[in-house]
Amino acid sequence: MENLTILVVDDDPVIRRLLEQRLAKQSYVVSVAENGQQAEAALREQPFDVVLTDLMMPGGIGGIEVLEITKNLYPDTQVVLITAHSSIDSAVEAMKKGATDYLEKPINFDELFLRLDKIANVKTILRSAKDIEQAMTVTESAASETIQNLEMTVAKKQQLIDAVEDLLTDDTLPEDERIARAITILCENGN
Amino acid sequence: MLKIQTGELKVIAQYIHSVSGIYLDHSKSYLFETRLSSIAEKLGCASYQELYNKARSDGSKTIERQIVDAISTNETLFFRDKAPFELLQHKMLPEIIDARTPAAPNLKTPVKIWSAAASTGQELYSIAIIIKELVRDLPRYQFTLLGTDISDAALAQASYGKYNRFEIERGLDQRSLQRYFTLFGDSWKIKDEIRSMVSFRKYNLMQPFTGLGKFDIIFCRNVAIYFTLEDRKVLFNKIADSLADDGFLVIGSTESLTGVCPRFVPKRHLRTIFYQKS
Repeated sequence: MENLTILVVDDDPVIRRLLEQRLAKQSYVVSVAENGQQAEAALREQPFDVVLTDLMMPGGIGGIEVLEITKNLYPDTQVVLITAHSSIDSAVEAMKKGATDYLEKPINFDELFLRLDKIANVKTILRSAKDIEQAMTVTESAASETIQNLEMTVAKKQQLIDAVEDLLTDDTLPEDERIARAITILCENGN
Repeated sequence: MLKIQTGELKVIAQYIHSVSGIYLDHSKSYLFETRLSSIAEKLGCASYQELYNKARSDGSKTIERQIVDAISTNETLFFRDKAPFELLQHKMLPEIIDARTPAAPNLKTPVKIWSAAASTGQELYSIAIIIKELVRDLPRYQFTLLGTDISDAALAQASYGKYNRFEIERGLDQRSLQRYFTLFGDSWKIKDEIRSMVSFRKYNLMQPFTGLGKFDIIFCRNVAIYFTLEDRKVLFNKIADSLADDGFLVIGSTESLTGVCPRFVPKRHLRTIFYQKS
């Protein structure tokens, strides 16, 4: 399984460094941003699997805005919010806006790693679902071409059979004439 | 997961066939198990025979509805397989509109379209979106866009017109999404201008068609594949009865009517096949 790429957004340098070190130790590919503006710049440069952002940050761009920017740019990116206990209500609000999860401060790293494992699993499942869907589309379009060609061929043969039947039962013509014409039609239209 | 016994397969398969027309292959016991085990377990049934007995004696038919919802496949996309919708836009709609436009300018042009296995509504809404974009002066027309399905759960979602991100992203381009849907939390809801063009009704394709009238265009895609050949013959014969003489039938791109219904002739338009009555 590929390692998740994670963007950590936190204005607190201690927490930022702690997260960066602990996550890197678990072999995640980590980038950091000090504030919302930096996060937006990083996101515009490249997509991340996960954005781990503080909910309350100084300046114009808080955690909710980071969430919105992320979801706007990459709907598949999972956003996990870090929040103080006092702002759990806003975290729940953020979940309604598409955040995957939230973690309370102080961060329990076992809990964080568990959530990230889950995100990685879902990502793998989604990717294999997409692969299967693509394979299905290819199979389906190949099958439909074959079936539709057969459908047209059979319909043409049926028309020919109907025409020959009409001819052979046409009382206004002498029998040998009917047979002769039927053979001509068959020869003209056979492969 | 509750295991199905060999002896139960036949009973359950016959029951499902009788209530839905869907034929499940006896050799595929996992199909029964994956779709029915949670219903059986929720009702506290120790076996599928018990589930069957409960469903049969349930006068409210709640269990029957749950079983039909679980068995019917609701996989569907907006504009699933672009070809039929291009066919609608470039051939079927223009021809039907030409043929139905009345001589008197004050009369409306009636056009009736049926999505016979509407599922969660994506096909019918796709049709409505095409009409909205193609037809300039909508009030001059009387469009009837009917979607039917056997599953209550699917119809409920169709009626509500709300889809999650996974359901909506596949098949729908950003422009149509923005124009015809409203973001609702994490889901998208069809706008009223499209919703009001369509209606949905519960309908079992295995029952006699009554009260539907004749349609100009019928979409019956990827539903007959779940029926036996005999049932398919009956179904397409009824569909032929319900289609106007110059009407169009569209079936799934991997389906065939050869040996099913001689009343229909396949015709090709660009890379797609449609059917008309012979």
